Amino acid sequence: MSSKKLGKLEFTEYEFFIIETTGSVAAGLIVSGIILAILGYNPLRGLSLLLFGGIRNPDYLLSRATFIMMTGLAFAIPMYAGLFNINGEGEMYIGGLTALLVAIYTGNGFLAILMGGFAGAVLGLIISVLRVYRGVNEVVTAIMLNMAIYYMIIYLITAKLYDPVAPHESLKVPASARFGLLKLGVFRIHIIFPLALIFIAFSYYILYFTKLGYEIRVSGLSPASAKYAGIDPNKAMINSMILGGFFAGVGGALNVIGFMYYMDSMLTSMHGMGFDGIGVALMGRNNPIGIVLASIFFSMLILGSQRMQLLMRVPKELADALSGVIIIAFSLPYAYRMLISYLRTRRMIKVGAEHHS
Amino acid sequence: MPEEKTAIEMSNITKIYPDGVVALRNVDLIVKKGEIHGLLGENGAGKTTLMRILYGEIKPSKGTIKIFGKKVRFRGPWDAIKEGIGMVYQHFSLIPPFTVLENLVLSLSSIAKVNVNEVKEKAKNIIESIGLNVPLNVRVEMLDVGVQQRVEILKVLMRDAKILILDEPTSVLTPTEVNEFLEMLRKLKKMGITIIFITHKLKEAKSITDSITILRKGRVVDVVETNKVNEIDLAKMMIGRETILKIPEKRSRPEAGSVILKVENLHVRDDKGLLAVKGVSFILREGEILGLAGVQGNGQRELVEAIIGYRPVEKGRVIFMGEDVTGRSPSEIYGKGLAYIPDSRAIGLVLDMDVISNSILTRLKNFLSKGGRIVWDKAQSFSSKIVKDFEVVIDSLKAPVKYLSGGNQQRLLVGREVIWKPKVIIAAEPTHGLDIAATEYIRSLLVELRDRGTAILLVSTDLDEIFQLSDRIAVIYEGEIMATGRPEEFTPEKLGLLMGGVKCQVKS
Repeated sequence: MSSKKLGKLEFTEYEFFIIETTGSVAAGLIVSGIILAILGYNPLRGLSLLLFGGIRNPDYLLSRATFIMMTGLAFAIPMYAGLFNINGEGEMYIGGLTALLVAIYTGNGFLAILMGGFAGAVLGLIISVLRVYRGVNEVVTAIMLNMAIYYMIIYLITAKLYDPVAPHESLKVPASARFGLLKLGVFRIHIIFPLALIFIAFSYYILYFTKLGYEIRVSGLSPASAKYAGIDPNKAMINSMILGGFFAGVGGALNVIGFMYYMDSMLTSMHGMGFDGIGVALMGRNNPIGIVLASIFFSMLILGSQRMQLLMRVPKELADALSGVIIIAFSLPYAYRMLISYLRTRRMIKVGAEHHS
Repeated sequence: MPEEKTAIEMSNITKIYPDGVVALRNVDLIVKKGEIHGLLGENGAGKTTLMRILYGEIKPSKGTIKIFGKKVRFRGPWDAIKEGIGMVYQHFSLIPPFTVLENLVLSLSSIAKVNVNEVKEKAKNIIESIGLNVPLNVRVEMLDVGVQQRVEILKVLMRDAKILILDEPTSVLTPTEVNEFLEMLRKLKKMGITIIFITHKLKEAKSITDSITILRKGRVVDVVETNKVNEIDLAKMMIGRETILKIPEKRSRPEAGSVILKVENLHVRDDKGLLAVKGVSFILREGEILGLAGVQGNGQRELVEAIIGYRPVEKGRVIFMGEDVTGRSPSEIYGKGLAYIPDSRAIGLVLDMDVISNSILTRLKNFLSKGGRIVWDKAQSFSSKIVKDFEVVIDSLKAPVKYLSGGNQQRLLVGREVIWKPKVIIAAEPTHGLDIAATEYIRSLLVELRDRGTAILLVSTDLDEIFQLSDRIAVIYEGEIMATGRPEEFTPEKLGLLMGGVKCQVKS
């Protein structure tokens, strides 16, 4: 079944995927355009802003994508083991905070990033151990931890770590620990983006080239097969959450060490990115490379919709809704396939029943 | 209105699951009012599915149901309950920390407004009238399984059920409890309650029922009046061997080699914590096939899982090549040269993974480099060797194995385990669901391996297979070995009786 037919033409699965994706995004754009036209906005201008508004500043686009790339991994890897990690948000905060502290005390940026990842991993460990050995649903734990961590960090920043000069900001990352810009001809990008790509490659390697990754994937796809093969699915779950937490923590650390250089008292520079990661992981079909593309696309839409609000006075709600339409259109092929397989079984039931009466 | 004599009339019931599995095909079931009707069949015959349809829990793909002459269409169990149907499952649906009374109140409050005192009065009345020995103010978790079952029945009676469905009710009971239980059913019958008794145990079916519908592979084989048949007839119908088997002339050398696997007095618990294997002992020699015959769910799976180290051993030992391997991990035991082909391809293979990834499942260690990296090149050449040697028909090594036919999946699975030349192979239902060609292929492969000196434990519910392949046969029932012997010593009838738990009344 590695090829698919479309009318008389035959495509490989890969080509089919491209066609499908392009087609569904186009459909999403058309629907968005119609909505804009009905509401009296210029659809062409709106759509071009939505799609390309974000590209005006490639550096900002990629930096923004960097963080949701990492939280995307944080959702995707536990998903391989069959867990639903929505703690990316909290793991990211704690990773950022840890990185900030390590950077302030040691002045070493690399160490700060690793320790940020480590802090996220610990959080993942706690959640998964509760799930595996105590039967506590990981989603519930994650929701509670997200809130607890959010307020704890706000408290720490406003009461203990604030910068006397700008009290709504934390102490700054010392210059020695900062990651700056990378010059590529006329372009400049923050170094954290290529750094994140290295982490993506690392995650890909773990998932597909190590025993650890193999065990995680087998456990998620078929826990019974895992046990039969002598793999402990519980351990695989814990490992996946540790890994996921690590990457989210790194995401937070990259935000602090390589982009903001401080944390603000409302965490606005990270807020919601843990949840964006879920969407990105789903859109990228949990594949690390897919996550890279999805996170850039996702950021493009977010920035584009901001641009649309700014230049066309489109209300925020409408701009968000249009991004939503495009993302839904993107996922329509899945829904379509599910419908088809449902109809097929219905038909089979009919045929089967008639055949034997 | 004339008195209706038929309690249940299910006609032409067909159930096909979305994945295409046909659970029931044009099944008719007629149960007379006030009788105990047996529903006999092996596991997977469709008994429980049929009853869950009657209870409104699943919808049939086709067919009609009449209760006391009235045509019904259930949207869910609540509709069935309103028509006076009650069902007691194998797994109880009681809330352990609640008292019996609290459980009763809870179950009744889902269909009507109730008050505790009324419930208590009613329960007391029912308990007295049938002599049901149930304490009302004790927490359910403190009660024995047998008593819990009576609570379940009480729960159904409290709803004024006219029809009681019991799914393998005796499977959780001890022999003395079984007798008490059957006695209670007779009392219920006297009260005019119609009972459907699902079982695969011949003796119980024979002793308690008035008539029996026999199901096999989703079809009705026959409907009989219990006093007109004996257990042998029932066994034959249940197992489905009208034809007399040809035992192949090619028997193995009479003297097999030395003992390679020895299981001593093994006790194993199932997932529910019940003792599923109760003191099983056997030996397996090099170059022989030992066929373990039995109806599914009699402890075979637990036994095998304990041998390979997947399930903890309660008591007893497993000795492999002279070494005590009890409690070792599966990977360790596989590494020593024991291979296990599980009874489900969905367990033996990861269906969503490709052929290459599947070929390294049980022996991942052999494909790791020194740095711990999976050497996919090695895995790929290994999988293409399996594909070639075992004639697996595939599009691509990178296609998920769920796209392979059952036969090709099984070739891949068996090939993967066999290619390492294991000393012992445990094969559970190795030809389940395969077409004739694939079945023949797998069977002749097993015989070939046997001839080369491999010891094989063949766990099968298929008697053809057992007779065709085994050098020795052991029969398992309720976690105990009923008999062991050479195939010539068994007739299909005798084997059927042993599998149904009837100790030899037949001369051997």
